[in-house]
Amino acid sequence: MKRMTFVAMLLLAGLYATFAAEPSKLKPFERGSWQRLLKAHSGRPTLIHFWGVTCGPCKVELPELGDFMKRNPSVDVVTIDADLVPNSDTAVLSMLEGAGLSAAENWMFDDGFPERLRYEIDTAWQGDIPRTILISRKGEMATIEGSAEPAMLQKWSDAQTIAAR
Amino acid sequence: MIGDLTMKHRTFIVTLALALTQGSAWAQMSHNHASEAACETTELRCASKVTPAFGADGTLWLTWMAGGQVSVASSKDGGRTLSSPAQVTQGKPNLDWGPDARPKIGVDRKGGIAVAFSTFRDKAFNGEVFYSRSTDGGATFAAPRPITDNAESQRFEAVGFDPDGNLFAAWLDKRNRVPLQQAGTKYDGAALFFASSKDGGATYSQAAMAADNTCECCRLGLAFDPSGHPVVAFRNIFDGGTRDHAVVTFADQKTPGEVHRVSVDDWQVAACPHQGPSLSVAADGTYHVVWYTNGKVRKGLFYAQSRDGGKTFSQPMPIGRSDRNPSRPYVMAGPRSTEIVWKEFDGEKTSVSLVTSTDAGRTWSQPRVVAATSDSSDHPLLVSNGRQTYLSWMTKADGYHLQPIEGEP
Repeated sequence: MKRMTFVAMLLLAGLYATFAAEPSKLKPFERGSWQRLLKAHSGRPTLIHFWGVTCGPCKVELPELGDFMKRNPSVDVVTIDADLVPNSDTAVLSMLEGAGLSAAENWMFDDGFPERLRYEIDTAWQGDIPRTILISRKGEMATIEGSAEPAMLQKWSDAQTIAAR
Repeated sequence: MIGDLTMKHRTFIVTLALALTQGSAWAQMSHNHASEAACETTELRCASKVTPAFGADGTLWLTWMAGGQVSVASSKDGGRTLSSPAQVTQGKPNLDWGPDARPKIGVDRKGGIAVAFSTFRDKAFNGEVFYSRSTDGGATFAAPRPITDNAESQRFEAVGFDPDGNLFAAWLDKRNRVPLQQAGTKYDGAALFFASSKDGGATYSQAAMAADNTCECCRLGLAFDPSGHPVVAFRNIFDGGTRDHAVVTFADQKTPGEVHRVSVDDWQVAACPHQGPSLSVAADGTYHVVWYTNGKVRKGLFYAQSRDGGKTFSQPMPIGRSDRNPSRPYVMAGPRSTEIVWKEFDGEKTSVSLVTSTDAGRTWSQPRVVAATSDSSDHPLLVSNGRQTYLSWMTKADGYHLQPIEGEP
């Protein structure tokens, strides 16, 4: 019996690691998620990065963001997978992990009608990624279309720290 | 005894494992993929992408992507009733589901039907373009064959019959990255490749290049000028990183001409816009082009025309309401008028707007909403039978639309 339990646990643990655990790490981004996200980070400098597994420039930028997060613990780093084509949870999580972003707040678009999710974020956004939104403590928002320069992000983060003093 | 118990228990564990695996696979598939379509079978009502073409006898032909397969059917009553669909693909093709990908269809004057589509070769989204044809009125289709034997990546094919019945195909091809990567150099984008078929799509000529370093993720616009020369509109990469639009007119099916810029929008972006142009050439030779840009010079949807065979283009005219996220423009020069349709979104529903020009694109009507839906939808397309232009639009909530629009007040 002990042995059977052990086998079952081993198998289930394996399954859990392969399947069950992974989807739970990504928050489903649905209608209303954007306003809830903004509210949850209100008063804190926040970097929100939109990306996707199929996006070439995102592959380059993601590890840079991982470095940014490590160096800037006072900034809330949020990623939202908003790929224009479907991504599997496994691929998303593996890329986030590789970039050192497992500990960030990670979301994935979860709506067969993604226009309405994008519209809640920015009515003019056609879905091109990468895209980054920087939000200051006071709630001032700046949008960067395409890849963001690490030096520019650092400058912004430093300005947030100075503003807090 | 213990052995028996262990066996039973193992069976249970294996069953549980399978259940979990299947559940997870289903959850992943449905995450935001399957839900684009209304259902999961191969019928038209389950399609995420539908492409129309009219035959010379006025029959409407549709090809669509549904249930992971490419199918074809026809309608003699404007889409109200469909013939029994013929499946072009078999097995489990991994069809290209990029936002600007769709199966293509062309019908020649003798009723031969040519189809093309792309699949993904691998997990890195490298593609392969396949073609097939039917010589029995769409009852059966030949087993799909690759349009080129090159094993790199081909996507975003466009096909059409010229007035003489020769079939022309163009696509975006990444074969040129190989020598550069071997030399340790970065290759930008893809290249515009083409081939032609003199036997109605049974065989294609050797692939050749028309332009290198184009954008790699946007649909092409293909049309024929009044002399039957192929014309292709595409998102190019200018000056190493500016993803603005260009047009190339072929001297014949084998000879690409010079690449001319449609507009200097100055969209420098290291990203894939996934939104290509649309092109139509009128009987008077006027080129009509519509496109999306997010450049420094202008942002949104635009229209321009060329009256010198695609060498120079008019000042871009903005299309659509900038506060309604206008997208996916399509243009068609019909016999009496020229129409442009595009999508707008108001936060709840997607509508298709229309503008019409009766003076070859010099002046345009006020925009008018011609269709709307409350869930996801395919790109709006225009199709002409030579007498009348129709809007062809697949929606998840309301199914397939074919509605006449040309000549309406």
